[in-house]
Amino acid sequence: MARPASADEALGLALLAHGLNRDLQRAARAAGGAGALWRMGPAAQARLLRVAEADVRAAATRDALAAARGRLEAAGVSLVAAGDVPERLRQVFDPPFGLFAEGDWARVAGALTERPVVAVVGTRRPTAAGRRFALGLAAELAARGAVIVSGLALGVDGAAHEGALEAGGDTVAVLGCGLDHDYPRAHRALRARLRERGAVISEYWCETAPAPWRFPARNRIVAGLAHATVVVEARGRSGALITADFALEAGRVALAVPGPPWADASQGCNELIRAGAGVCTGAQDVVDELPHAAWGDTQAEADAVAAPVGDRGVLYGLVRAEPMRIDQLAATARITPAATAAALASLEVDGLVLRGEGQRYWAVRRAT
Amino acid sequence: MVFTIPSPTLVGLDTSTVQVEVDLRPGLPAFSMVGLPDAAAREARERVRSGLVNQAYSVPARRIVANLAPADLRKQGPQYDLAIALSILAASGQVPVAALEGVAAVGELGLDGAVRPVPGVLAMAEHASQRGWARLLVPHANAAEAALAGGDTEIVPVRDLRDAAETLCGRREPRRVVADASEPGDARVTVADLGDLRGQATARRALEIAAAGLHSMLMIGPPGSGKTMLARRLPGILPPLSPREAVEVTRIHSVVGLLDPGAPLVRRRPFRAPHHSISVSGLVGGGRTPRPGEVTLAHRGVLFLDEVCAFAPSVLDALRQPLEHGVVDVVRANTSVRFPARPLLVCAGNPCPCGFAGDAGGRCTCPPGRAEAYRARLSGPVADRIDLRVDVPRLSRDELMAEGTGEASVAVRARVMAADAPRAAREQGVPNAHLGPVETRRVARLDAAGRRVMDAAVDRLGLSARGFDRVLRVARTIADLAGSERVADEHLWEAIALRAPGEGERRG
Repeated sequence: MARPASADEALGLALLAHGLNRDLQRAARAAGGAGALWRMGPAAQARLLRVAEADVRAAATRDALAAARGRLEAAGVSLVAAGDVPERLRQVFDPPFGLFAEGDWARVAGALTERPVVAVVGTRRPTAAGRRFALGLAAELAARGAVIVSGLALGVDGAAHEGALEAGGDTVAVLGCGLDHDYPRAHRALRARLRERGAVISEYWCETAPAPWRFPARNRIVAGLAHATVVVEARGRSGALITADFALEAGRVALAVPGPPWADASQGCNELIRAGAGVCTGAQDVVDELPHAAWGDTQAEADAVAAPVGDRGVLYGLVRAEPMRIDQLAATARITPAATAAALASLEVDGLVLRGEGQRYWAVRRAT
Repeated sequence: MVFTIPSPTLVGLDTSTVQVEVDLRPGLPAFSMVGLPDAAAREARERVRSGLVNQAYSVPARRIVANLAPADLRKQGPQYDLAIALSILAASGQVPVAALEGVAAVGELGLDGAVRPVPGVLAMAEHASQRGWARLLVPHANAAEAALAGGDTEIVPVRDLRDAAETLCGRREPRRVVADASEPGDARVTVADLGDLRGQATARRALEIAAAGLHSMLMIGPPGSGKTMLARRLPGILPPLSPREAVEVTRIHSVVGLLDPGAPLVRRRPFRAPHHSISVSGLVGGGRTPRPGEVTLAHRGVLFLDEVCAFAPSVLDALRQPLEHGVVDVVRANTSVRFPARPLLVCAGNPCPCGFAGDAGGRCTCPPGRAEAYRARLSGPVADRIDLRVDVPRLSRDELMAEGTGEASVAVRARVMAADAPRAAREQGVPNAHLGPVETRRVARLDAAGRRVMDAAVDRLGLSARGFDRVLRVARTIADLAGSERVADEHLWEAIALRAPGEGERRG
């Protein structure tokens, strides 16, 4: 296998791909590696890519490289050479030439090599239950030491990141565009939290705009980083299925959450299971699939939260996996609305219940 | 000869004096008006002429020039009619000049010479006593309102032109006026009572907290869940207007002509619910001659923005200054006026454009991102000012059918007023919602346990710095309601449960 590209080579190729608005993977294969593609010079690159030499020269000059480095530094984006990306990612077909990363990449990279890594992906239009499941699954896996990888998309992806953050775990978002782009806009706040407590990465130069064909390419990185990929909900032609395919191709574990045959949002998942993917009905299924990974001591984790007592205990006994309105809980428990709100907020902060739309609360995990 | 009578006039909510001068010159009979009158003011010519004739006075067969000084201030409306007519009477010797010594007048004339009411008389009467005028002639219908000013100026209510002239000459006893002296905010404050509502225990509680600390609040819920009903009941649980506040509110409402002539003093806290198609100047005030907007009309009361996400973003942005400073400055080419604007802001909205996000049964039909985009319209200046957020779900059948209703407004108001007492003694009586970060930390000191609660909330829920202060302010109010001097854990927890939009939001 060819030597992985150096940081300079990766940056040059990222600029070139951005300038030409093309994917360079096929050219890299033809040239015998990313490094080789960069070193062959503009004339040969132009021939290989079948574009004008002037375009190649305009896209990535030596000066542009220096300027780009300065820009990354100013924006606090680190450039990760191909040699420094986690080993697992290098094994996928067409590995990235390098990565751009926001956030605490050094720490996250350590976690990605040492700890179990699970990709949680799915449709941008989940059902409310699907979203909850994704959130709860990510939270529980994160609590057991997993790093959660996803694509920062609306829907399941966002819920997965939120769940991981909720549990105080590590999480990585892989973008299908440059890091300058706030995409999707609705996840701006989530992204800010990820930057603070996880990492946001992309193989594209900062200015690269989102384009439909870049998202499947992004999915190979999501699948490539993870030991296991879980598809929570996916329609018949969901991009999440592409992620699962990449995982299977790379010989990783792919799991799908089964859904009823009539549920539109679960068509893709059921197809995956028919095609041989594992069934995921909870965090334990993922843990069982990855027996050799360094899972945290779940017992110790559970012990850390004492079983709630008093009003909290009563309410904790009432919340279920299905969300309940605060007024219903107060009425059933015969506790004043004020005390109910206070008790639920404290259970929420302890990570025992979650709050969703309509001030509904549901149970995440059981304290012992 | 020239004769002059002062007449008070409004500039926004402020007042100034217009000198109404009349000159009778030899020449062909004519009547002209100068001094930037608008069309309504200019037509005083016809009203005054007919009024004089129909009250059996004569119109001098001279060249009449009426000047409204200062000549560069735009004069609006028919309020100068009475002063013009009296000036003509004095200038033509039909009323002795001495009778008009120290007299100012305001009022519109009918063609029959009757004196009709005008807006803003309370502010004008206050102006009169500041100027030290001895007597102010006001339309009879505005007498009770003018008397609220309570200055040294004698308020002389007049029914028609002859009544005015005869009273001034001492041939008629001036009518006595009695200020509307009943206690402001007595029992009949509440029209809409909380007792009429079923269920919604959490929303009721939030309403009570909002009233006690004047915290702005946001209600989210599907259509028909009772958000508007709840908001309408908020004025009834607020403490009654103090006498000073009542006059302040009356002054504003008088200027825009909203007063009840029978009982001019505004005793109820205003409740204003502008439609979401409102313009910026409709909401915060404006116009070529600035008029107060809804945010000023809701001063000391409740400003309710239903379907808040449907308001134009520029309109919501315009709320920034009033919410921050409690005043609105409207600047025009030749004037700048300041309106007071300290309403309790209550917003209501659907969880998504179709209204059913989060509703059990998956009735929401909005495509992905649409609900987020919809709610993002609420971000920015308004969201930053909202302390409380409560979800108002549709009631289940059981809750609808349940026997008995909720607690009545009177009981809730008693608790709100009890919570108001400790607040009044703190930080110059500033309501909790208006405390700055420094004051907030001073009045809501955290002990070790409280700090642990807040640390956990910041860590787990991603509470922002602004959100942190909001939780503290709300917790202070909750502690006040509980009669507790110290902000305890449970107060903080409840404040966290009612935290503002955007603080650790999650869908599910």
